[in-house]
Amino acid sequence: MEAAIFGQALRENLRLRRFLPWVIVGLVPFGFASQWPTFQPDAMKIDQYANVSSIFVFHILALTSAILTSTILTQEVENKTIVYLLTRPVPRWKLLVFRYLACSLVVALLGIIDILFTSAGVYGVLGSNPLLFRDIAAVIVGAFAYGAFFMFIGLLFNRAMIVCLLFAFGWETAVPNMPGQMCYLSINSYLQAIAQHPSAGQNKVLGQLTSSAGDNTLSSNTGYMAMILFAIFLVALGSWWFTAFEYLPREDAE
Amino acid sequence: MIVSATQVSRWYGEVIGVNDVTCVIEPGITALLGMNGAGKTTLIRLITGQLRPTTGDLRVFGLEPFGNPEVYRRMGYCPEIDNFYEHYTGRDFVRFLARLDGMNAKEAMTRADEVIDMVGMTERAGRKIAGYSKGMRQRIKLAQAMLHEPELILLDEPLNGLDPVGRREFMDLLGGLANQGKAILVSSHILFEVEQMTRSLLLLHRGRLLATGDLGVIRSLIDKHPHQIRIETDEPRKAAALLAALPNIVSIKFDRSGESIQLEVHEPSAFYNALATAVLERGLSIRGLSSPDNNLESVFKYLVEA
Repeated sequence: MEAAIFGQALRENLRLRRFLPWVIVGLVPFGFASQWPTFQPDAMKIDQYANVSSIFVFHILALTSAILTSTILTQEVENKTIVYLLTRPVPRWKLLVFRYLACSLVVALLGIIDILFTSAGVYGVLGSNPLLFRDIAAVIVGAFAYGAFFMFIGLLFNRAMIVCLLFAFGWETAVPNMPGQMCYLSINSYLQAIAQHPSAGQNKVLGQLTSSAGDNTLSSNTGYMAMILFAIFLVALGSWWFTAFEYLPREDAE
Repeated sequence: MIVSATQVSRWYGEVIGVNDVTCVIEPGITALLGMNGAGKTTLIRLITGQLRPTTGDLRVFGLEPFGNPEVYRRMGYCPEIDNFYEHYTGRDFVRFLARLDGMNAKEAMTRADEVIDMVGMTERAGRKIAGYSKGMRQRIKLAQAMLHEPELILLDEPLNGLDPVGRREFMDLLGGLANQGKAILVSSHILFEVEQMTRSLLLLHRGRLLATGDLGVIRSLIDKHPHQIRIETDEPRKAAALLAALPNIVSIKFDRSGESIQLEVHEPSAFYNALATAVLERGLSIRGLSSPDNNLESVFKYLVEA
């Protein structure tokens, strides 16, 4: 039963029409990575990679998650197919959790593809990238953390996608650059702590773009712990919420 | 009893869905009859645990149905909606839901093929649902509702979109399931359709349960009121003279067009028998016969007045 829920959600998200556009989006950081010396001729390769990764990959990760994960249930509600799922002998929390896991896995996979593209753009396909594995770890943790957050938003709001996109673009860009403790209210800050990219230095514009202009002093371990607990808490809260409240096809609910 | 509702009401904000409904559903076919907006779908959603009652107590197999897997293990539901995973084939759709019913991949494959065969979709089950007609969609919906051999099957307007042959097959299939001891609740807004399936009725009107029980009892209640009957004939005056002699006639009126007459009769079944005799034995020529009362609105009107 669990395998069926997980497998169905995985197949849905890996459908070529849904998956391929996101792979193509991954070519954007690849393009910037390969052309970065044009913008910053004196930058070392590790800085080139770190800048492109922070500016593009982590923001694309939030965007991908916002679009894919917020629709875990809203799409079923809008298509009215939720009725078939809710009247089967499956606990509601299982429906939610296994769909979340499948969807987040796909987002993580897309994030890893973006990382590999970016790395290939800077170091070449076979080049050795010292930040590669930390970035892959950050993207995987980020996919599940963003996924939990956007899934929960999807449970709360009718038009969750708008809220999620505002969060992914607005909040996640602005808040990590804020002074004081504010940066700790952004998922991106924790992912940057996990990735431990080199500092953008004195370049304020680059600092803003790479979300490193704030007072983020988090350690990598704190980043892991905080994101794992955050995801677990939101998935548990979402499971309770989905179990306790009614979910009807949209037009019938009005 | 399989379903018991005690003073169940459900409100959507300030709009009432069902109001103070008390009923039981036993094995066999029960028809849930009501016009569009009467509250049929709301009542079915309450029974299927998609909604919670605002007030009152609703039990299915003695359990509260909202989000209760124990209830869903014994219940099949064929919703009114026409939505599917359109890119799936009918077979894949049914198999997926079989997996959600707890079957392993092999069991799901076998059982899906069985129910698909039962609804006559074997040859078309390999096609994508996006290309299905309304009737084919109805059949696939019924197939998924029967997957786990439930004791209770709820069908929301299942005959919509089916051709006459499909309807007949569908009714035969439901009859077979009822004979196996299953409880089947079928919602419809067409009285004629329901009469062909069952004698047991729940009659909903504007959210209230207006009448329950045997269709014959409800019919006889209706028959206490004079029925309107319209007869089209080329010889209205001759027809009126002949009909005036028949029993149970309350009044006869001539239509302005001069081609039909309007009758009011008591006990319409007795009248129809006498009319048939008049046609056969006394040469009464009739081009058309209709009863504006033979629809749900009239039934509700009579019952409200009663």
